[in-house]
Amino acid sequence: MLLPPPVPRHDPAFATDPTVTVDGVSVWFGPKVALSELSCSFGPGVSGLLGPNGAGKTTLMRAITGLVGVNEGTVRVHQLDPRRDRGVHARMALVPEDEAVPAGLTARQFVRYVADLHRIADREAPDVALRTVDLFDVGDRQVDTFSKGMRQRTKVAAALVSGPDVLVLDEPLNGADPVQRAALIALFKRLGAEGRTVVVSSHVLNEVERMAERVIVLVHGRLAAAGGHRAIRDAMDETPRHVFVRSDGGRRLAASLVGLESVTGVTFDSKRDGLVIQTLQARELAVALPRLAKGASIRLLEVRPLDDSLESLFRELVR
Amino acid sequence: MSANPSTPTTARPTPRVIAILRYTWRSCFPPKRWAAILLPCAGALLFGLLAHASDAGADRAFANVAAEGIFGLVMPIAALVIGDSVLGAEVRAGTLHFTWLSPAPTWQIVLGRWIGGASVGVVTIAPAAALAAIVAGSPSSAWAAFLAAAVGSIAYVAIFIAIGCMTRRTAVWSLAFVFLIERLLGAALTGIAQLSPTWESRAIFVGLLDNPPSRLVRDGIPEGGGAIVRMAIVAAVALALANWRMHHMRLAGASD
Repeated sequence: MLLPPPVPRHDPAFATDPTVTVDGVSVWFGPKVALSELSCSFGPGVSGLLGPNGAGKTTLMRAITGLVGVNEGTVRVHQLDPRRDRGVHARMALVPEDEAVPAGLTARQFVRYVADLHRIADREAPDVALRTVDLFDVGDRQVDTFSKGMRQRTKVAAALVSGPDVLVLDEPLNGADPVQRAALIALFKRLGAEGRTVVVSSHVLNEVERMAERVIVLVHGRLAAAGGHRAIRDAMDETPRHVFVRSDGGRRLAASLVGLESVTGVTFDSKRDGLVIQTLQARELAVALPRLAKGASIRLLEVRPLDDSLESLFRELVR
Repeated sequence: MSANPSTPTTARPTPRVIAILRYTWRSCFPPKRWAAILLPCAGALLFGLLAHASDAGADRAFANVAAEGIFGLVMPIAALVIGDSVLGAEVRAGTLHFTWLSPAPTWQIVLGRWIGGASVGVVTIAPAAALAAIVAGSPSSAWAAFLAAAVGSIAYVAIFIAIGCMTRRTAVWSLAFVFLIERLLGAALTGIAQLSPTWESRAIFVGLLDNPPSRLVRDGIPEGGGAIVRMAIVAAVALALANWRMHHMRLAGASD
């Protein structure tokens, strides 16, 4: 009896219907390696690119858009090389992270310029794009006088004016106020739902999980994790964490802590006169620790996570 | 009763070169850049005044001053600022992305930037050179000075755009080109002087004068129309080089 062929397990780093493919890409700038043998792909919908500062997110986005050539591997957008086939730029747009905007142009002139480069015949297109990002009323103000958030939104308008089906957004929420943030997230989700490939980078997990169905995590130019944001969140929650605790009964507290399931180790830090607790379940520890201290009549003087920065969590992911 | 005309929302798209040209004029020359261009142009007028200090006749005195001061100093420096403004400064600022990330062919980007920069050179450097002739009391030299400065600055802008496509340190390499390659090597080697906007614009100027000082006539360098053709070839080669390089540029951001 023939068995049915095994169903290939889908690698979450790769989209099922890719428009952008990154295959074994390495990019270096002199001695600095920005991307190292990275392979992943992006398809319709919103994909998040997550990683600490210096992880290679911006370099990957520049490689995807052709701004930076790759030293090894290939990047394809709609199966075209963005460095060689300039026609691909008619279907793709980038919102760069840099605050730089052209000097001396109003928002309307800037968006009009981008529309002209794309030979957009619709004279209303720049105004429609400005309305989309809620900048229509200030369209006659010079872009270089705008705040950071307004500049980002102007660049989003410039990116949208050509109606691209691949949209690469490098930290597009930088500088935006909470209301604008919510509006932009809704906009990106809508664009993704329309079947466009939207790649959004951020170093804030909460931000990415609000808009992206799929997340790719980069650390030190390498792929650290990929998948749904829940999987990424779980992976992060499962990384060992260290918490420093100073109390008026260190030894008694240490003895009580070792009995907790959430604690995997306790060491005494003589320099700081406290305990360093290692845990795989930080949330459980956060609940159990005050109860434990109260029960043993121990006063907690200081409780501080030692490695709670996103960078340290990312680092744990690639260990 | 006439039909209610609806406002047309579509129109023939603006040609890309025109859009790039308009952008170049609007965005690449903020007030500080204009000051940096006009300052050396004002220097040209000072060189015109300096010609009065010479005992030689006004025409000969101006010819001597123009050869060294205007074509050797004012024109390259002002053209350097213009050439850097239209490309190098945008690369460094990270704003060239907005143009580069479009389906516009690179030759159109280069051409638009060059026309934009060259036109600024023609309306600033060339009139300054002509005015300097008038200030020097040699109005008959004004046309020759205008033409030579216009041709020289057009060629220079093309060269500085090419340098802007090759390196982020446009100003440093452009200065090295002017003072080390043109002034130093060009003074010694005719082969280099033949391709140098400084030497060729000087040759255009000298070739158009009725009775130029003999020390300004350099053997082996075409004068007048020949020099103009030479400069056109130099500009064309520089633009072709810029176009080729633009395909291979690594456009990092302002923070890189």
